[in-house]
Amino acid sequence: MSKPILNIVDEIGRALLFFKQIIKTTVKTPCSWKSVCEQVVKITYQSLPTTALAGFFVGAIMTVQFSMQVKEFGALGFLGGLATSGTIREVGPLLIAFMLSGKVGAYTSAELGTMRVTEQIDAIRCLGANPLQEIILPRFFGIIISSFLLLSAGLLTSISGGVTLGFYFADIHPQEYIRHIPTIVTAYSVGSGLFKCLVFSIVLALICTYKGFHASGGSKGVGQAVVATAVATMVGIVVADWFTSLLSDVALTIWLGV
Amino acid sequence: MVYTVGQVLLLRGQMLSGFLNLATSTLVGVFMPPFRWKEILKQLHFVAWQSAPVVVFSVSFAAAVTIMESSYHMRLVIQNDALVPGFAALLILRELGAVVTALLITSRVGAGLTAEIGSMQITEQVDALKMLSIDPIHYLVVPRFIACVVGGFLLTIIANIVCLYCAMLVSQWSLGYSQGSFLVAMRSFVSMQDLYFASMKGACFGAAVPLIGSFYGFRCQAGAEGVGQATTNSVVTTSVTIIVLDFLLGYLFSYFY
Repeated sequence: MSKPILNIVDEIGRALLFFKQIIKTTVKTPCSWKSVCEQVVKITYQSLPTTALAGFFVGAIMTVQFSMQVKEFGALGFLGGLATSGTIREVGPLLIAFMLSGKVGAYTSAELGTMRVTEQIDAIRCLGANPLQEIILPRFFGIIISSFLLLSAGLLTSISGGVTLGFYFADIHPQEYIRHIPTIVTAYSVGSGLFKCLVFSIVLALICTYKGFHASGGSKGVGQAVVATAVATMVGIVVADWFTSLLSDVALTIWLGV
Repeated sequence: MVYTVGQVLLLRGQMLSGFLNLATSTLVGVFMPPFRWKEILKQLHFVAWQSAPVVVFSVSFAAAVTIMESSYHMRLVIQNDALVPGFAALLILRELGAVVTALLITSRVGAGLTAEIGSMQITEQVDALKMLSIDPIHYLVVPRFIACVVGGFLLTIIANIVCLYCAMLVSQWSLGYSQGSFLVAMRSFVSMQDLYFASMKGACFGAAVPLIGSFYGFRCQAGAEGVGQATTNSVVTTSVTIIVLDFLLGYLFSYFY
């Protein structure tokens, strides 16, 4: 009974040690900006359509659900603000990070795992280069930066999805919908959404580079690493979501006294 | 490679027709003998029982977040948080429980299924099945399909109940509701109907996972890269499909409330 739990704790510890190694390499021997930018372009270009589509539907779902609830209170005017606030603060970052974990996370760990089992990583080490610096760092920072871009794009399309459904489902004119957004969505909300983006992207980048880099056992091992990455990132994102909500709640109570 | 618009459309059309073909043969295959009970039970054990810990764990964290977020919004709009239990329960039952469960099943079961069928395809095991005059769809996809539909249904119910229970504990701890008052406030917003709709959603999402997963598995290109590519594509397509399905089902169910 205690063995699976110990295994999980072991795995978390190893991932954190890997994170420490990444930070150490970043400080001592940083990778070139060019390689990071290459990764950013590649990842963003690949995932933009998926993320935008998912964002649109997330916004649409939120508007439909919120409109059914606020209709009972006759507060349909608040719909734009409430649905947008709910999307930006919580549901948007969460669901879009889930999408990214499927798209970017699985892809990166499959790529790194294939490199590992075909001994390309060992070849890089033989050539006297540091694989962490050459392969992992560009991907790690590429994922973090492009997650930001993709999540912002996803949140923007989610607002447009909300506006569209507000018009067709709840009969709210787009102007009315958008007019109420700034009354409820504060700068603090946007900041908390962006902070969540940052934390989710770090969790995602760490888990997929860790799992891919340490894959073993041929093509079957790569498949296992991909599945393990997908599950671990989702669980990690949910836990990080709770943790950031708690943090921002505490921060709000301390600094603003709300 | 650069394709013209026509070629892209043709490619998409071929994919769609291939998928519909697979889906219809699977749906017909469900009612065709032989019924592989042992295989179905084995798959159900993998899909439902072994996913349950992950689902329960994730969903209980999601419950805590839901309570915190809805109390924030409530305080913002109507200055108190008296309606938090009702709102949180609505959000959990109508959206969160089913979608989070389905996305977890996608990454755990869907990805594994694509990798498994994909590597069977590229090592020609699927062709070997055909040689033995066994229909690969009936042998591989149908048991997984049944297991995922049933598993999605059951896991959604479990996830919703655990999520509501955790929401109750969190609101007791952080907002000071007693359990009784939480349940009373909840009952004025949601009814048993919501759980029925949620579990129907779960079954639909569960149906999407094996169909899309095995579709990409059968199309897998040779080589280790091919399996990874197929797995990524399948996870992404399934997640998008689940979100789109969620929207469509939510829209449909909104006429029944």
